[in-house]
Amino acid sequence: MFNNGDNKRHKVIAISPNGPTGNGDEVEARFLAPHFESDGFPWLQIFGYVGSLLLTIAALLAVVDHILPAFGLLVVILVLAVGQAALQLGIFMHLRESRGSTWHIVTLGLGIVIAIGLVGMSMWIMTFKSGVS
Amino acid sequence: MSSLLALLFPPSTTRNMELSADVLIILASAAIIFYLTRWHRWKYLWREWLTTVDHKKIGIMYLIAAVTMLFRGGTDALLLRAQLAVPNNHLLGPLHYDEIFTTHGTIMIFFMAMPLIFAMFNIAIPLMIGSRDVAFPRLNAISFWLFAFAAFLFNISFVIGGSPNAGWTAYPPLTELAFNPGVGQNYYLMALVVTGLGTTATGINFLVTILRMRAPGMTLMRMPMFAWTTLVTSVLILFAFPPLTVAMVLTLFDRLFGTAFFTIGRGGMPMMYVNLFWLFGHPEVYILVLPSFGIFSEVVATFSRKKLFGYSTMVYSVLAITFLSYGTWVHHFFTMGAGAAVNVFFGLSTILIAIPTGIKIFNWIFTMWNGRIKMTVAMMWALAFIPTFVVGGATGVMLGAVPGDYQFHNSYFLIAHFHNVIIGGTVFGLMSGVYYWWPKVTGRLLNERQGKWAFWLFFLGFWLTFMPQYALGFMGMTRRMYTYSHGFGWSSLNLISTIGAFVMGAGFVVMVYNFVWSQIHGEIDVTGDPWNGRTLEWSTPSPAPEYNFARIPVVTDRDAWWAMKQEQKTNVVQIKPQEITDIELPKSSGIPFLMGLSFFVFSVGMVFSWWWIAGAGFLGFVVCMLVGTFDYDDHKEVPRQEIQNTESAFGRLQG
Ligand code: HEM
Ligand SMILES: [Cu+2]
Repeated sequence: MFNNGDNKRHKVIAISPNGPTGNGDEVEARFLAPHFESDGFPWLQIFGYVGSLLLTIAALLAVVDHILPAFGLLVVILVLAVGQAALQLGIFMHLRESRGSTWHIVTLGLGIVIAIGLVGMSMWIMTFKSGVS
Repeated sequence: MSSLLALLFPPSTTRNMELSADVLIILASAAIIFYLTRWHRWKYLWREWLTTVDHKKIGIMYLIAAVTMLFRGGTDALLLRAQLAVPNNHLLGPLHYDEIFTTHGTIMIFFMAMPLIFAMFNIAIPLMIGSRDVAFPRLNAISFWLFAFAAFLFNISFVIGGSPNAGWTAYPPLTELAFNPGVGQNYYLMALVVTGLGTTATGINFLVTILRMRAPGMTLMRMPMFAWTTLVTSVLILFAFPPLTVAMVLTLFDRLFGTAFFTIGRGGMPMMYVNLFWLFGHPEVYILVLPSFGIFSEVVATFSRKKLFGYSTMVYSVLAITFLSYGTWVHHFFTMGAGAAVNVFFGLSTILIAIPTGIKIFNWIFTMWNGRIKMTVAMMWALAFIPTFVVGGATGVMLGAVPGDYQFHNSYFLIAHFHNVIIGGTVFGLMSGVYYWWPKVTGRLLNERQGKWAFWLFFLGFWLTFMPQYALGFMGMTRRMYTYSHGFGWSSLNLISTIGAFVMGAGFVVMVYNFVWSQIHGEIDVTGDPWNGRTLEWSTPSPAPEYNFARIPVVTDRDAWWAMKQEQKTNVVQIKPQEITDIELPKSSGIPFLMGLSFFVFSVGMVFSWWWIAGAGFLGFVVCMLVGTFDYDDHKEVPRQEIQNTESAFGRLQG
């Protein structure tokens, strides 16, 4: 099947050379092969990269130059952070691909739960300035 | 000039001990260079090892590096114990003692235990799941070289520039520039950032490998237990290492660029560092121990000739541990005083973790129950783990009880606890794995008689070292104190502990002797299946060929290879000449090594604030990235003739 390589560098090494076995590996054979070369110049990726850099620099400058009072700053950098996360998930993390979207949602959900849990609990722990025991 | 010399060689690097180390280092390097040149081995070294992307060779390199680091960390440990052997001792001064426990802890965790774990991942996982390599072979090599150069960076600190001295946890304010001038702490920070990057990449790599590269038919619930624990360890790594990197980078900013993230006088918050560190630190202890749980599961099943008892409970308890381990980190700083509600919550969650852990212990015992147990060295390490880890776990629960912790915290009781779990869990497990999988990558068995000597010395030395420390903790001896006076009643217990440490040291020496001896004289593993194993790696010849499987096996059962043997179907791994096809493999590349080197140069620049050197290192990194990205010639074809020759040399060709 996929050892007759017209598309040399995209062969997947784990697929059984006995041919598809009906266990799902033929699906992977088709999808694991990246096909970005056919899409021409990766404008989108470059946009994502430059965009991420700009958002980071914006956050840094906003804080370094104290453009707003503390609370306003927090809001601004939070918005910038969420924007950047969306950018990266959308452009680099294949979130927009339809394949395996259930898994995407499950793992992303779990990731968000854990992340929010960690941040939330950290805030809870750090409130102790008000009442040291 | 003289100020440069003063920067490179501050007083802490010109003590007698450091100067003798200098001499040894120079002699050893000269000997290695001489050997490589005299026998024309440079090319071989570059071609076969430095540029390899083969997971088995990367595994061997991790193994060698980890044993070397165990030597360094162990030497540190013996120095610490020698200092504490008798009261009022002055072998080491207070600052010297601080430096040595800092490098001891950091090296043991990040540069000994972690690479030994990755050695096991690399050696076993692709073979176990019936794959030809990991998902991202070149990234795998990059991970290794980032680790290797970070280890090198960390290790030179004590002879050039000065050693870090703020403990492996490196809490501010002690790490802030005002209290800790000099470059030592920068070494610590850069080394951990760089090796942390490599570790994160390894986590991604094995996560994808296990989810995506299993042989056909190997569903998740048919995976060997070690594959499961590797999977969850990878997930833990992905969540645990970013907080560490953040904590390190913020401290670095405080030290190098005058920010004040952790400087309380300027509105910073040192407690946030503690929080971030343990947000990493507690998952890290499970990163350290879960792979060993996997190894025990394999070893115990193999040498009891039985399938693993309660496989699915085992899987669920591993998942439970993973999830719970994110909610317990405050138990490392109960005494910071976050308030009763916080402490109660985290105390309970800590004690809860003991439940799934206990379940696993029973699973191993029931696996052995009624089995025909074969006492190999690998099995002995696994057996020794059970009582050792139970004691460590029980004292952990004591520490998790908050009022108790206020007494035990930062005493020798804590030291004894975590050595109990880290040595009894992680190290015993990894040793078991080393003896178990050694033949698979080297083709020779480790000598059992020598191995048993090493085991008994190490095992007895361990109890002798750490049991007295529980008592010392109760008697009020705190950790990180460099000496103590007569009259506390601590003297004899400390002496016993030191004797135990040297017995463990002897065990280490015998073990290294065992490795070297067996590589020269050891029994050759002709079958590829010396233990009558159960999982797929034992279906390949030893040492496994570069392509692992001439034909990828199709899996129908949980213990895949055992099932094939039971059904007399082992011929599925034997191949007919006409069935052989070319195999595509990733090609060696110098980029991972050069990338590690670039990071090293960059780090040196950051450590000494030589910005132009840092810039050069960064540039090297960018060039490596670009060249690597546009390198389309990254695969090679192993022609079928070559595979046929290899397979027939192993006697695996049919017809
Ligand atoms: C039943 C399981 C466990 C429980 C309940 C437990 C509990 C604890 C607690 C409460 C502490 C903090 C003590 C203090 O600072 O006063 C602690 C420290 C520690 N534990 Fe555990 N633990 C368990 C298993 C493990 C395992 C499996 C490992 C590693 C493989 C480990 C490694 C450590 C380390 C390294 C420290 C000390 C770190 C330091 O402060 O330098 N523990 N443990
Ligand atoms: Cu912990």
